[in-house]
Amino acid sequence: MKTRLCLSLACALFVTGLQADNEVYRTWTDAQGRKLEATFRGIENGNVFLQVRNGYVYRLSLDKLSAADQQAAKTLKPEGLGIPSDPNLAQAAAQIDMLVEAGLKKSEQKPNPLASDEQFVRRVFLDLAGRIPTREETLEFINDTSLSKRAKVIDRLLESEGYRSHLFNYFADMLRMADVAQKARFYTYQDWLKGQIAENVPWNKIVYSMMTADGKLLENGATGYLLRDAGMRLDNLSLTLSTFIGANVSCAQCHDHPFADWTQRQFYEMAAFFGATETYGAKGNAGAGMQGMRKVIASLGDKKLQQQAKNLLRVNALAVEDSTENDLKIPDDYKYPDAKPGDLVTPKLITWSDDKNKKAYQGVQTTKHDEQLRAQFAKWMTSPDNPRFAMTIANRMWKHIFGLGVKEPVTDLDDPAASVNPALLHHLANEMVRLKFNLKQFLRVLCNTQTYQREATSHELADNTAYLFPGPILRRMTAEQAWDSCATLVVGADVDKFKGHRGETYAKAMSIDFSGEASPDVVKGQIENAIASMRQFGGGGGNPKNNTKKKRMMNQGGEENLTLAPPVRNGLVLARASELPQPEKDQHFLRMFGQSDRQIADSESEEGSIPQVLMLMNGEAQRVIGQNDSLVVKTASAQKTPEQQVESLYLSFFSRKPKPDELTNAAAGLSNGMTMRDLTWVLFNTREFIFVE
Amino acid sequence: MNLHNQLDPISRRAFCERWASAALGVTVLHGLGGSAFAAEAAKAAAPTGPGFGKAKNVIFLQMVGGMTHIDTLDPKDGPTQGPKAPIKTKADFQLGGTMENLAKQADKFSIIRSMTSKTGVHAAGQYVIRTGYEQRGTIKHPNIGAWAQHFLGSSHKTLPSNVCVNRQPQNGNGFFPSSFSPLPILDPDVGLQYAKSEATPEQMSKRIAMLDQLDAGFRDRFKTSEVKSYTQFYDKTISIMSSTDLEAFHLDDEPEALKEKYGKNKFGQGCLLARRLVEKGIRYIEVAKGGWDMHNNIEDGLDEHGAELDMALSALLEDLKERGLLESTLVVLCSEFGRGPKINGNAGRDHHPKVFSTLLAGGGIKGGFIYGSSDKEGMAVADKQTSPQDFLSTIGWSLGLPVDEVVMSPSNRPFTVGDKGKAVMELFA
Repeated sequence: MKTRLCLSLACALFVTGLQADNEVYRTWTDAQGRKLEATFRGIENGNVFLQVRNGYVYRLSLDKLSAADQQAAKTLKPEGLGIPSDPNLAQAAAQIDMLVEAGLKKSEQKPNPLASDEQFVRRVFLDLAGRIPTREETLEFINDTSLSKRAKVIDRLLESEGYRSHLFNYFADMLRMADVAQKARFYTYQDWLKGQIAENVPWNKIVYSMMTADGKLLENGATGYLLRDAGMRLDNLSLTLSTFIGANVSCAQCHDHPFADWTQRQFYEMAAFFGATETYGAKGNAGAGMQGMRKVIASLGDKKLQQQAKNLLRVNALAVEDSTENDLKIPDDYKYPDAKPGDLVTPKLITWSDDKNKKAYQGVQTTKHDEQLRAQFAKWMTSPDNPRFAMTIANRMWKHIFGLGVKEPVTDLDDPAASVNPALLHHLANEMVRLKFNLKQFLRVLCNTQTYQREATSHELADNTAYLFPGPILRRMTAEQAWDSCATLVVGADVDKFKGHRGETYAKAMSIDFSGEASPDVVKGQIENAIASMRQFGGGGGNPKNNTKKKRMMNQGGEENLTLAPPVRNGLVLARASELPQPEKDQHFLRMFGQSDRQIADSESEEGSIPQVLMLMNGEAQRVIGQNDSLVVKTASAQKTPEQQVESLYLSFFSRKPKPDELTNAAAGLSNGMTMRDLTWVLFNTREFIFVE
Repeated sequence: MNLHNQLDPISRRAFCERWASAALGVTVLHGLGGSAFAAEAAKAAAPTGPGFGKAKNVIFLQMVGGMTHIDTLDPKDGPTQGPKAPIKTKADFQLGGTMENLAKQADKFSIIRSMTSKTGVHAAGQYVIRTGYEQRGTIKHPNIGAWAQHFLGSSHKTLPSNVCVNRQPQNGNGFFPSSFSPLPILDPDVGLQYAKSEATPEQMSKRIAMLDQLDAGFRDRFKTSEVKSYTQFYDKTISIMSSTDLEAFHLDDEPEALKEKYGKNKFGQGCLLARRLVEKGIRYIEVAKGGWDMHNNIEDGLDEHGAELDMALSALLEDLKERGLLESTLVVLCSEFGRGPKINGNAGRDHHPKVFSTLLAGGGIKGGFIYGSSDKEGMAVADKQTSPQDFLSTIGWSLGLPVDEVVMSPSNRPFTVGDKGKAVMELFA
């Protein structure tokens, strides 16, 4: 204890420039006369929590303090928002707060007041688990009197099914995850990503796997990233660079970037790292097997059967393979003097002017073996020393939680100095590296900051004023958050239970053995079997069919078994958005509320429209929420008085109790002929419901 | 559509800027705001010439699947002729044998017979003919309706400026706000989706009054533009639901005989709906018709889809003319590509982007006029090659849009109406 105290105090002196000055510091003395300058964060189970200037939080046994300080600990009002789950976490969060506050101070702005428990619980559920809390989850949190309850709920949500679902939705938008691409189903890709998130695989490893994956889509879901853009490697690269390292190169695909440093030649030099990567199965190893397959197909009598077999073959041919030769050439319309159209391009990594000597570039020499080019690129891109890789994902995760990046747009980090708070941006990048790309841990730190736990900004910023994060911004729910929250109102926390897992079924149904060892008759049998099961997937290509609906099962008591199949009400499948078709069909709630069509990266919309508002007012969702079999209605109806009913609804929709005038008005409505159905319609259609404070 | 309709030009500009800087203070997003100023400047110095700004409305008929040019607008004799021989028209040119009714309206339209496109893939081709740009994974491009709304503002106080019939509104607004997205009417007989509430009007007005009360606290606390814009969408939606404007979408009000004349199918009724919407002041209406991907048995395909097109388009032109709307309404007919001269083994024709035809009528366009030509087989362009970009620029010109003006997307990339195509001036009277 003694050494630890001294060491940490020494550290505290080391960390300079990161000191908050708007908190109340006091000198604490222990029974042996040692002193500690710290703010009082609270007392729980006989332990006193004291936070020193660098953010570290000490836990000291109450009886070790001097008599005077024991008295102080019992009477002082705690500063801040409860106690964190571990002292290092508290320090990491505090450092972020200090940088944010330093940024605010420079512009003579003040942080927002701290958020109430009610505001916090709704926000943290939506941000981490992707849905509103149920009435019971809200009450459990509000009625918890422990000092560590905020830290605890963050920890709990990070381990929830909802967390996986919500983070998947974020990446599905970023990566344009679509059920159908290249006339095949990309279910294995989705399942692979869900698995990576569930296992909390570090981000650098996830991305490395996507860049270097090979084999069939049916067998290795990670190939989905490259196969999504099969035959369009330049487009794919353009997205790779902007998505993962914030390099704004889309212009350089066709000409030198007019504003930034990138030239078209540099773009092609980067693309050359994928110059020996085949995304069409026609060439390469699978090719020989494919030839044999064509003969088998020709032997199938029926023309329709042949066509189906061809579709099947195409699905099986979707694979990533490395060839031995980089064949990327300068394009025909190249107009700069440094290369000629048709020249082979030598792979070369881009550098940023501020980071030329970073380790990421060292050890990456152009290889003689073209089949290793891709792995070299992946190693360079995902290296902790790459100056943009960690920064990009850190900035994206910040936006995921705070509603806005420290640098916008998140796809352009060419100039970090243009960020609203460059020191914060660099610190977040360093944190991402320190935490070894553990996204869960990173989000845990962000959610434990005071900055996150402040009230949302309620005023409008003047045009072109930088947002310096006095708190999170007020934002509309994403389409997935809104949908998942609707489903929560109807079925409660059980909505998290159902998981799709379509990849395994699909791969099993469609997979054909290409090895060449199988005799034509065996292959023919395989093909016929696969065609039979293809019907389940709507022919292997084309429009996705809703299988969850068909597979809906009831057990004997008539109770729905939610792990097997989600409940269906009025044609709406009440599963989390992550388990529904990707993307949903155009007229579905999700799409009308702004779900990306998965054609353009990061294109989720948070804007309103008349068709959308018509849907909110008259569509299926409001009906399903207001029906008698909806949980929110059942729970409220069980209450005795109109006032209690209103309170129950408010807790379900807004995670708070009604204010006196709201209670009076709503209860009067119920007493004067308005139904529960009417009142759920009203609450569902408020701005308060669709916005996240 | 939507929000902009309610705003005067000044607040509209403010909204554009607000939207453009939606990411709160990020300088890269000044693009649209800047161009809103530029738009006003450009309007002052707008180009003039024959036909410029003659069209107040556009009806954009898209034949989905690749309309065979040889059997419709560019008939051929000899071995490449399809199942029916060419027929004479009211003008001095011929049409495909299925276009019997359209032949009688030939004095009302022009045909471009020298269209060419680079892509033979459906989705990519449709994207190009609607936007003038190639599809990319990094940006969406607007259709002409969205461009028009950007430059000219809204066309109606409450109703949207941009509608699409028989198709989803994908890629309509492009990089403009989603409020520029076309309002979809998936079935003309049904009209606007979710426009009716199952609650009685009294019940609904009680609900709305309660909504106003219970949400007041939140609205007072958060006076941000995002919250305000939602409130405006609600106000506007409620006003549309209770106003007579919705009648624009009620085809039941049209006489049965007229409905028959357009053809009792989705495309025919879609064309009729388009005319109703034009009358109500909606600027840009797209009507889609599928069935043109005639790889097999083109004769049957033409009997069904060719005949539907013939009936609907000729009824539309006649109807617009009778109502005095044709001069101010540009009607265009296009497809993502044409179909090959060779009849394949399945008695069909395959994709053919190398040459195809489009039709234009009204909005200052000449009647009975042919622009450009294909060769004898209908295989390649013989004269006056015209790109999708030229075609879209022609539409933009007719609408009075500054087709040369560069607009920066929020990602700061430069775009123009029709991607620097050249309006075909010879088409204008």
